[in-house]
Amino acid sequence: MYTCKDSINLLLEYLEGEMSPEESRHLQEHLSGCSPCEEFLNTYRATPSLCKRALAARMPKEVSSKLTEFLRTKIKSAS
Amino acid sequence: MSAFEALVESHQDKVYGLALRMTRSEADAAEITQDTFLSAYQHLKDFRGDAAFGSWVHRIAANHALMRLRHRRVTQAAEVELQGPEFTPRGTLADYPVSDWSRDAEEKALDAELGQAIRQSADRLPEGYREVFLLKDVDGLSYEQIAEVTGDSIPAIKSRLHRARLALREAIDAFYNRDNRGP
Ligand SMILES: [Zn+2]
Repeated sequence: MYTCKDSINLLLEYLEGEMSPEESRHLQEHLSGCSPCEEFLNTYRATPSLCKRALAARMPKEVSSKLTEFLRTKIKSAS
Repeated sequence: MSAFEALVESHQDKVYGLALRMTRSEADAAEITQDTFLSAYQHLKDFRGDAAFGSWVHRIAANHALMRLRHRRVTQAAEVELQGPEFTPRGTLADYPVSDWSRDAEEKALDAELGQAIRQSADRLPEGYREVFLLKDVDGLSYEQIAEVTGDSIPAIKSRLHRARLALREAIDAFYNRDNRGP
């Protein structure tokens, strides 16, 4: 029987479907009997998308204009 | 507008964002974006289709960003303790009930304070963990691409990604439980 610690150590592999059927079964057994771990799994799975939203960045308009200008000059001088 | 300029326009935010998050410098990010698209132009005949172009410029931008980071990094502080869940000696979760904020997190517009807490927590990750986490979870590079640009093995990358996610999950959890737990 897996402990919480064992289970949490395996979450990445579990979510990516990379565990052996046996390991996967052990983990599912633990999760179905342990609500803290089940909730841990849910929040672990939600973490990347939340982080992605928090770290989103857009290119400022003036940087974008400079980029276009830079590329036009470089491309013109190369051809 | 040329076909190339259209490609640049559709990928520039992602490339700039990747470079900015990695280097944390607007000047570096602008330069990396320029260099990346210039090399993309020089290799334009090698791409078939928009997806290949997108994946290529991401990898090149990651490469440029990592080179700057490696160059800039003089001394890396000794291994920093990463935040993570705590367990009892018997291996059960020590800190619960955990509130399940996963559904809450999907629906709502991102809370400004939570966004701040996430950015701070990401900033505090040791470099090797921060890089892997940004490239995989924020910028969506594949493990193979990350292995190629960092020179690390895929198992090492996965293990760092897992620990980075645990640390970030902990920061988010602390935000949601800020009123329920003592100091
Ligand atoms: Zn458990």
